[in-house]
Amino acid sequence: MTGPAILLLLAGLGAIAWVSARARALRLQTAARATGRRDAVHSLPGYHGWYVALWTLIPAAIFLAVWANVAPGLVTQSVLADPAAQSLPLDGFSRSAILGEARAIANGDQAGAFNPLSQGLVEPYAHALNKYGVAGAVLALVLAFAGGAYAFTRVRPDFRARTRVERLVMASLLIASLIAIVTTVGIVASLLWESFRFFSMVNPIDFLFGTKWSPQSAAMGYGNDDAFGAVPLFWGTIFIGAIIAMIVAIPLGLMSAIYLTQYASPTVRKWMKPTLEMLAGVPTVVYGYFAALTIAPALRDFAVAIGIHGASSESALAAGLVMGVMIIPFVSSMADDSIAAVPQSMRDGSLAMGATTSETIRKVLIPAALPGVVGGVLLAVSRAIGETMIVVMAAGLAANLTVNPFASVTTVTTQIVQLLTGDQEFDSAKTLAAFALGLVLFIVTLLLNIVALRVVKKYREAYE
Amino acid sequence: MTAARNPTDWKSEAMRKRIAGRYAAERRFKFAGLFAVLLSASFLAFLLVTMMGNGLRGFTRTEIALKIDFPASPLLLDPAAITDESLSQANLPMVTDSVAKKLLGADADALLSPTAWISIRDAIKADPKILSRSETISVPASTALDLAAKSKGSPEMEAAVTRLKQQGLLSTGFNLSFLTASDGTDPTQVGIWGAFKGSLLTMLVTLILSFPIGVATALYLEEYARKSWWTDIIEVSINNLAAVPSIIFGLLGLSIFLNLAHLPRSAALVGGMTLALMTMPVIVIAGRNAIKSVPPSIRDAALGIGASPVQVVFQHVLPLALPGILTGTIIGMARALGETAPLLMIGMRAFIATPPGGITDPATVLPVQIFLWSDEVSKGFVEKTSAAIIVLLAFLLAMNGLAIYLRNKFETRW
Repeated sequence: MTGPAILLLLAGLGAIAWVSARARALRLQTAARATGRRDAVHSLPGYHGWYVALWTLIPAAIFLAVWANVAPGLVTQSVLADPAAQSLPLDGFSRSAILGEARAIANGDQAGAFNPLSQGLVEPYAHALNKYGVAGAVLALVLAFAGGAYAFTRVRPDFRARTRVERLVMASLLIASLIAIVTTVGIVASLLWESFRFFSMVNPIDFLFGTKWSPQSAAMGYGNDDAFGAVPLFWGTIFIGAIIAMIVAIPLGLMSAIYLTQYASPTVRKWMKPTLEMLAGVPTVVYGYFAALTIAPALRDFAVAIGIHGASSESALAAGLVMGVMIIPFVSSMADDSIAAVPQSMRDGSLAMGATTSETIRKVLIPAALPGVVGGVLLAVSRAIGETMIVVMAAGLAANLTVNPFASVTTVTTQIVQLLTGDQEFDSAKTLAAFALGLVLFIVTLLLNIVALRVVKKYREAYE
Repeated sequence: MTAARNPTDWKSEAMRKRIAGRYAAERRFKFAGLFAVLLSASFLAFLLVTMMGNGLRGFTRTEIALKIDFPASPLLLDPAAITDESLSQANLPMVTDSVAKKLLGADADALLSPTAWISIRDAIKADPKILSRSETISVPASTALDLAAKSKGSPEMEAAVTRLKQQGLLSTGFNLSFLTASDGTDPTQVGIWGAFKGSLLTMLVTLILSFPIGVATALYLEEYARKSWWTDIIEVSINNLAAVPSIIFGLLGLSIFLNLAHLPRSAALVGGMTLALMTMPVIVIAGRNAIKSVPPSIRDAALGIGASPVQVVFQHVLPLALPGILTGTIIGMARALGETAPLLMIGMRAFIATPPGGITDPATVLPVQIFLWSDEVSKGFVEKTSAAIIVLLAFLLAMNGLAIYLRNKFETRW
């Protein structure tokens, strides 16, 4: 029996269980009410229905989940016990290839066999698959009936079905909220594990402080010594994300926030704020394409025109400029929030002393809002250094330690993409280096976020 | 006693200059603010206009009308028995080539798209009777000719365009195959349907996983959990996850789902799972805000007439908070739809020429398709890339518009 058919059957059984249990509870309720005891039935009929339906479904579903993992092994074992399997080669790889082919044919995924050996195994495979499929289905149905019957006998007036059902609901809510922790642990564990394997091949000191990055040469067998010095990558990331992008984003974002909160009429504000927010909604791959296709060539032509040597068509400046534009809304909305949090009385006091609006903004509002603005900038930096597509498409691959914005530099995220796309073995230092870079990126962005949130929070409390 | 101070002479020249200077500074500052806003907005406009300028051409294509005399052509096909097999054995590419050379001259190779024969095959398939007469079929022109006809091409191609136009063979039609075809190697024949379907499947998986989990987490944290070190950990993890760079989720998906669980590579299932982990914190945070804004009096009233805590939440709080949760969900999904980097990590950058049939088939998504096309050397891919970007942006805009509409429609002040 096929998987979907069993699931459908189970769903049908669950529905029947729900309906019949509910009907029974309803009868009990009516009977109890007829005797004049209105509160004789503890739970509403629907809860009895859910109780029985869940008892029908959950044990069977758990069994099926376990079975799906156990059955393939049992099937393989029974095929190997078949006389036809005696002729299989002993070497593990070709053995599993033949078995896989026979399985695909037996399943109907594949029409003919490439290997003549597998043809002989199709018959035992189909037989075993069928046997264990039917066994699983029968066991699941038996479990469903048993669970349902047990629960159905408990449908009594004084049975607290609601409490049971609600306990399950609460448990599933708790489990859902644990997913966040599991994900976090998963990220940290997988990054740490793979990084650990990397650092067993490459000295962490060389990785963190080396200045030569050439994973290709390491992969080609020149050895791992000084091929994984990540300093040029860190520099490229900081240069693009924390320097060039911020030179664009901080003034534009801050001045936009000031203009929109202090000067603009409500109509202008109503239209311009969402317009600026659209900048944050454009997918980064679009920014990357735009940077690579339009901005970068224009910048190179400009650099050549003013006589700069080493101008590259993939430049730090192109990636940084476009990334800065993408970041504007983040800076602007953080600045907006922190300016709005400054008490109105401070602003009024300054204006009453005769200061102009701009003097008030520069000498009172901005200094008062500064911690919030700084927190916003830190968040923006964290976002910029984690950003991938813009730098992959516009920043280039050359690991340069340069301050020339027209030169090509590479970043941590670009290298992660480079190292992990393509066909590689997952135990080479080259691929594992990506996870080490990911770990560094994770730690740095985490620290930036924590500091930023602390700064913003602390400052908020000062006025409240 | 302080010395008596002269009263300020507001009318003095120095004072007047000082005030004028201060007002000028005020104007400059205000102008700087306006400039910043306009510069940011104009960048957005520049981006959109550039994409439109390049991309709208991608929705049209240049076609050449080929008048084919089927009975006289060397095509060996029986009109009564047209099957996929007989068509594939009829050697259409070569026949098309020879017909085109006869009609257009020796340089027909450079004028016609290398896959022009597909249009003829489709025409025969649609109506086998044309095999017994001569018929005019529009076939796509080559990329070089297409570029020359639409904007600027090489001198030879410009000449060819003028020549064909005089003969009345050239036409520009809406490129329907851009919406219905999948990835390919020939820019005149590629389309976005495969990637689009991949995006839909991926979003479906993301939504099915992240919405229930996100809402359940938000309900648990906001309604039931007592404040303890345990809920603090959950809360901190969620806030951190919301700020983790997306590529890190790609690394997680790669090492857990692919290397550990051996799920199928480059499938919508794994892509959706990876994006769901990324989207879930967004939904949780939006959900908590929406739940928080439901006034306590509603809970108290429900509890007062005997509802259990679970009934209060599922029958009263959740329905009232749902519009807010939906708005947050749509915004999170829009972000997931535009995401590329994590999907590159789990191998969704393969060349996939057939639309995926299910969530475990190899698939690609729109942003990744854009990324792949942007790497193509052939010039015809530039306008295709921009056209795909227009489709993607239109979708994002629609989703964000829907979120704003929902927010305005269901905004309640208690």
